[in-house]
Amino acid sequence: MAYIEIENLSFAYDNKTTALQDVSLSVEQGEWVSILGHNGSGKSTLSKLLVGLLRPKSGSIRVDGFELSEDTLADIRRRIGIVFQNPDNQFVGVTVRDDIAFGLENLCIPREEMIERIEEYSKKVDMFDYLNKEPQQLSGGQKQRVAIAGVLAMRTDVILFDEATSMLDPEGRSRLLQDMKRLNEEGGTIITITHDMRDAVHSDRIVLLKNGGVLADDSARNILGDKELLEQASLELLLPLELMHTLQAEGLGDDTLREYLWQLSLNG
Amino acid sequence: MNNVVIGRYLPGNGVLHRMDPRTKLLGLVFLLASVFLIDRFFHMLLALGLIIVLLLVSRISPKRVYLGMRPILFLLLFTFIFQIAFNEEGDLLWSLPLNWSLSSLAAVVAIVFLWGFTRRYVRFSLLYFLLGAAAVLTALANLDYGYTLTTGTLEVYEDGLQSAFFIMFRLIVIVAISTMVTMSTKPTDLNLGLEYILKPFKILRVNTEEIAMIIAISLRYIPTLLDEANKIMLAQASRGVDFKEGRLKEKVTQIVSLLVPMFIISFQRSDDLANAMEARSFVPGAPRTKLHVLIWRRLDYVALVVIFALFLASLGARLV
Repeated sequence: MAYIEIENLSFAYDNKTTALQDVSLSVEQGEWVSILGHNGSGKSTLSKLLVGLLRPKSGSIRVDGFELSEDTLADIRRRIGIVFQNPDNQFVGVTVRDDIAFGLENLCIPREEMIERIEEYSKKVDMFDYLNKEPQQLSGGQKQRVAIAGVLAMRTDVILFDEATSMLDPEGRSRLLQDMKRLNEEGGTIITITHDMRDAVHSDRIVLLKNGGVLADDSARNILGDKELLEQASLELLLPLELMHTLQAEGLGDDTLREYLWQLSLNG
Repeated sequence: MNNVVIGRYLPGNGVLHRMDPRTKLLGLVFLLASVFLIDRFFHMLLALGLIIVLLLVSRISPKRVYLGMRPILFLLLFTFIFQIAFNEEGDLLWSLPLNWSLSSLAAVVAIVFLWGFTRRYVRFSLLYFLLGAAAVLTALANLDYGYTLTTGTLEVYEDGLQSAFFIMFRLIVIVAISTMVTMSTKPTDLNLGLEYILKPFKILRVNTEEIAMIIAISLRYIPTLLDEANKIMLAQASRGVDFKEGRLKEKVTQIVSLLVPMFIISFQRSDDLANAMEARSFVPGAPRTKLHVLIWRRLDYVALVVIFALFLASLGARLV
């Protein structure tokens, strides 16, 4: 059984429109899955459902064997941590130290261990020197790294990035992507929710959402190589991929060139 | 946004900075009570002296404390003048005949206008105000040309003068103590101290931890919201709204054009924040451990004993 199993999940904010319709997907431990979709495809709703911030209309979510309900909410939130889109609106503490401590305080971790974990994980995201800084002294990227440290310190099994790079400058975003890569290499399970190809190319698998339903669920390379599919989901292609598709359509270019372009898109 | 700076925490390493926030809060309460208990001029002078000593010992910049007092300067002057003019007990110390004649009234009007126009160019506003007041009195006392409406005398009595100084000193002491506490304590520490001190109220089912959390989050978001307000003001200004000028009615519409977006943004922010807090396992009212713990040190015990002794002394002085 997979670590996260979502079965026939549906959700609606009101009676007229459904935000999610019959979504089923699973995530294995250690995997990096991107949930890719255009605005209004239901991807953010999915992330909120996953940690019980919204209650599904029908269907089930199972994390590490626990089925999501009122009673298991706390257990599931101990296993999935989220880094949200807006760096400012998820910074709870007055300083970096307080913010990393916030989740630990909620889990009733003893003070001595809290101090150790804050040191360990702030070093991990390179924010150790900033522990006493206030959020307004930090850049967006730094704030997101603090959010990651806060989640890491809680030692969740899965980290979910909900559009976490969309409000960052280019430098902040590439730094954040590097962090994601490193976490995944160290064995962490990562789910990125995004509309941006650049965030999705590195993942093992992509789940393509459209109008609240799963359009495709395949390896990153297969999905990004399928031009029609991406056009259906009204997503913008990365430049090297666009070039690859054009060459393919014209019957030009050999496999070496396509491989090269694929590698190039990974670097973007 | 400059007036937010008054009484703001300034890092330092003086006695007050090293004290536990609980000590400072309790001390503040007892010292304020003492200042209100004192009713003799000599005792108030002592209190003022003690505050000055504390100010020097705690290595807080006196200039900052004075800046904290600026907003109440007008109140100070008003009560001072009021006491001198209307308290007529004790020995008559000094009297000044005043002629309300056409010439003196014209001079007074001229002086007031001159003062009003030039004061923004003078650095020492308080001194300049006193100079203006002295000029008005001189004019009233000496100019008796023209038709005289009425005459009067300004009489200064001993008790009036004393109670004028007494009340002024009391206000100064109160504001100085409070400013020194807020300037030597981080808002977060103050909040933490408050949480501890209010713990007994748990019996009344007041959830002090939640109140402390609310205050902490407000403190966290004040700079963010100020920043936001600034952005909106710039955005509105770029569309032609002038926040600096305009009549009252225009000012009101300007404020509305600032407040409405601020409201909407704040609600969005709090929604996001609530989600983020919940996702990180926050449950309101549930038990939590704490990163920051407060520890009583020897300094705190000494300070509390001294403060309590002062309180008892002033209570005793009042009752005797």
